Amino acid sequence: MEAQDTKGKIVKEVFPAEIVSIMGDILAGVVLTLLILPFDSFFILILIVPALLSMRGNISGPFIARTSRDLIIGQFNKKSWIENVLATYILSMVTAFIIGLSSLLLDLILVKLFLVRFDLLIVIPIFSILLTLTISIPCSTILNYIAFKYGLDPNNIVNPIMTAVDDFSTVICFYLTIILLGVP
Amino acid sequence: MDYFKRIFKESIVVVIISSIFGLISGTILSENREVLYSFPIILLILPSLNSLIGDISTVLISRLTSHLYIGTISPKIQKSNRLKEDFYGLLITILLSLFALIILGYIFSYISGIIIVNPFLIILIIMITVLLLFSLMFVFLFVSSIFLFRKGKDPNNFLIPITTSLLDFLTPFFMILFILLFI
Repeated sequence: MEAQDTKGKIVKEVFPAEIVSIMGDILAGVVLTLLILPFDSFFILILIVPALLSMRGNISGPFIARTSRDLIIGQFNKKSWIENVLATYILSMVTAFIIGLSSLLLDLILVKLFLVRFDLLIVIPIFSILLTLTISIPCSTILNYIAFKYGLDPNNIVNPIMTAVDDFSTVICFYLTIILLGVP
Repeated sequence: MDYFKRIFKESIVVVIISSIFGLISGTILSENREVLYSFPIILLILPSLNSLIGDISTVLISRLTSHLYIGTISPKIQKSNRLKEDFYGLLITILLSLFALIILGYIFSYISGIIIVNPFLIILIIMITVLLLFSLMFVFLFVSSIFLFRKGKDPNNFLIPITTSLLDFLTPFFMILFILLFI
C-alpha cells in the first residue's frame, strides 16, 4: 500500500526496474554512438532520433497500459486488442509524418545540411516507427499475457522491461531504415 | 470502433507535443556537434539518462496523486513526513541508479571502444544534471499536483506527458550547458 511505503520499500521496488531500463537504454546509446554517429548526415538524423524515442514512449507506454488494464478488468478480447493496435499504428504514422515534416523544416531553417533527400526525411520516421511497433506490439502483448497468467501485476512488470526493449529496438530500426533507404 | 476513436482523440495532442519537444532536443544536439564529437560518451548515456529522470518523475507523480486521493498528503503546500519519506526514497533510488548508469556506461564504452575524454568531469556533469533536474522536478511536481488536485483534475493525466516531454529536452540542454561552462 503506497500510503505506508517506507523509503526502503520505494528503493527496493523501483531500483531493479530502473536497472533493466538503464541496460536497454545504454545499448541504444551504443548503437547511436557506434552505428549512427559515423553517418555523414548524422547531424540531420539526430534531429529525428530524440523525437522518435519520445513518441515511442508516449505511444507504446499507453498501449501497454491499456492492454494491462483490459486484462486486469477482464475486457481483453480480440476486438479491443485490434482497435488498440490500429489506434497505436495510426497515431504513430500521423506523428511520424509530423516529425518528418518538422525535421525537414528544421534542416532548411537551422541545420542547413542538405545531405538527405527531402522525401527521405519524411519517410525515415514513418518507416522506422512502423518497424519498431512491429517488434514492440507482439512482445508487449505476450509479456502482458504471461505476467497476468502467472498472477503478476502486468503494470509493474511489463512497462520497465518494454522501455528497455523499445528504446533499443527504436534505435536499431532507425539504423536499419537509414541503411535500407540508402541515407549517406 | 468506439475504443479506437477514444484512444486516438485522447492521445494525438499529447503525442504530437512530446514529439515536438523531442525535435527541440534533437536540434540542441545537432547545433552542438563539436561537443558530441569531442565527448561521444554523452551520446551513449543520453537515452538512459533521459529515461532515468523520466521514470523517477513518473513514479513521483503517480505516488503524489495516490497520496492526494487517499488523503495521506493534504492538498496544501507544506512539509510532511510522508513527503519526506517519498523524497528520500526516490533520491536514494536515483543516486543508486546513477551509480549503476555510470558504471554500466563506462563498461559498455570500454567494450565498444568509445573514447572517454575527461571521465571525472563527465561524471561530475552527469551528477549535477541529474540532481538539479530531480530537485527542480520534485518542487515543480509537488506544487503542480496540489494545484491540479485542488482544481478537481487528475495530476497523472496532465503531469506525466508534460514532464517526460519537458525532460526530453531539459536533460541534453543542461548536459551541454554544463560542458560548455566547465570546459
